[in-house]
Amino acid sequence: MDEIMIKADHVSMRFNLGIEKGFSLKQGFVDLFNFRKRREKKQKKAENDFWALTDVNFEIRRGEVVGLIGSNGAGKSTMLKIVAGVLKPTKGTIATYGNICPMIELGAGFDMDLTARENVFLNGAVMGYSKSFLESKYEEIVAFSELQDFMDVPVRNFSSGMTARLAFSIATIVDPEILIVDEILSVGDLAFQQKSEEKMLSMIQGGTTVLYVSHSIESIIKLCDRVIWLERGHVRDYGDSERVCSAYVESIS
Amino acid sequence: MQFVRNILYSLKKYSYLLNQLVSRDFKVKYKRSILGIGWSLLYPLLMTAVMAVVFKNVFRFTTPGVSFIAYLMTGLTYFNYFSEASNLAMSSVVANFSLLNKVYIPKYIFPLSKCLFVGINFLITLIPLYAVILLTGTGLNIYHLLLPYSWVCLFMFTLGMSFLLSTIAVFMRDMFYIYGIVITLWTYLTPIMYDIAIIDKAWIVSLMKLNPMYNIINFERMIVLYHQMPSGASWLACFLSGAVVLVLGAVVFKKNQDKFIYYM
Repeated sequence: MDEIMIKADHVSMRFNLGIEKGFSLKQGFVDLFNFRKRREKKQKKAENDFWALTDVNFEIRRGEVVGLIGSNGAGKSTMLKIVAGVLKPTKGTIATYGNICPMIELGAGFDMDLTARENVFLNGAVMGYSKSFLESKYEEIVAFSELQDFMDVPVRNFSSGMTARLAFSIATIVDPEILIVDEILSVGDLAFQQKSEEKMLSMIQGGTTVLYVSHSIESIIKLCDRVIWLERGHVRDYGDSERVCSAYVESIS
Repeated sequence: MQFVRNILYSLKKYSYLLNQLVSRDFKVKYKRSILGIGWSLLYPLLMTAVMAVVFKNVFRFTTPGVSFIAYLMTGLTYFNYFSEASNLAMSSVVANFSLLNKVYIPKYIFPLSKCLFVGINFLITLIPLYAVILLTGTGLNIYHLLLPYSWVCLFMFTLGMSFLLSTIAVFMRDMFYIYGIVITLWTYLTPIMYDIAIIDKAWIVSLMKLNPMYNIINFERMIVLYHQMPSGASWLACFLSGAVVLVLGAVVFKKNQDKFIYYM
């Protein structure tokens, strides 16, 4: 039970906000002869650095459900992306053990020109599932999405609700060892919303290791064993969910 | 060793994704087209016909001893593979940014999948090439069995260029336009529609022989047109053209891939 599944060791993440401006030939040429500006620019570059995360440490053990809370821009999504392997931390290391199912944004990599059936396999491959696994689960995916009659229709012709249902059904078909959730998703029409919410809750409570981001303090307290409170990239508090959440609520009001 | 083992492991793990990406490209390419895959057969023939008319009849280019059409087509088949694959691969990383921002996928998989996709198309275009070889009376010989060596070199060269180009394109989108010009220039600097013998300045010729595409196509033409076993130097030049560029491209790509995400 106390096997470590996710270990963040002094993780820091830097973004350079100045990068957006980019480099243009004209400006570069002008600056070339402007020595003062060149010096200023060097300083400015350091000022432009934005540390989304600084020195974050935590360990998550098998079966734990850990919540991430904090205001907008505190670094929650950055943390999720680092755990999912999308971003590499500027400093420090992150280690994860076991297959990860990132439910960060669904339907990544859908090709609108392909049929729903073809997209199940393409999207499944993007999520890292094998061919035999997808073939064995195909019927289950279709059944859950309730799109039986539309599997040979190009996704281009789907409504947004139908696309979301298909994406949700593919993403939730695995039993991942580590589940990363950014808000409980409820997609589609009212009936499917209930169904998808139930499915997510059962995945979270099903005994896997979960990293869960939400702005709903209620659901965090209900679902999580422990909570990490991030504030401007620092870990403000890490511990028992009720204690941390009440401190967080207090700090806002 | 560890590095190679890591690559092999991730290739195995993501082979199904690679397979899916390549087959997706095929499905989308011939969607709503009446001739479908027939275009892969017809297109190189028609292109060669147009160029043959222009260069043979208008510019009066000749290739002594061998059929001009066969000469043209041997060069075009190889060069078109390179230009199409590298062009598609160049934009492949940028085009998949939204995906790379959500799930972890090894980034090299996108240029690689484009080179493989166009590679399958290349194998199909060998059919019209062989039709031309037979119809022009160029004839076959036992050395044709050595041609796959030149395909491997061509693939390595193209993949290496794709890694380089897709990396540059991430940091500098101007590359899409620049490369369009570069590839046009490259077509004319490679002896595809003319014989290198018509150039009379020795230093230009030796400069042209540094062109990897020249070396790879030359290896092919030795066998197909002149029925000769390529010389040792020719084997080596062909190999180096592919391997050096592949290693260079792979190193540049690997060094920069973690920074890609900031340049979306």
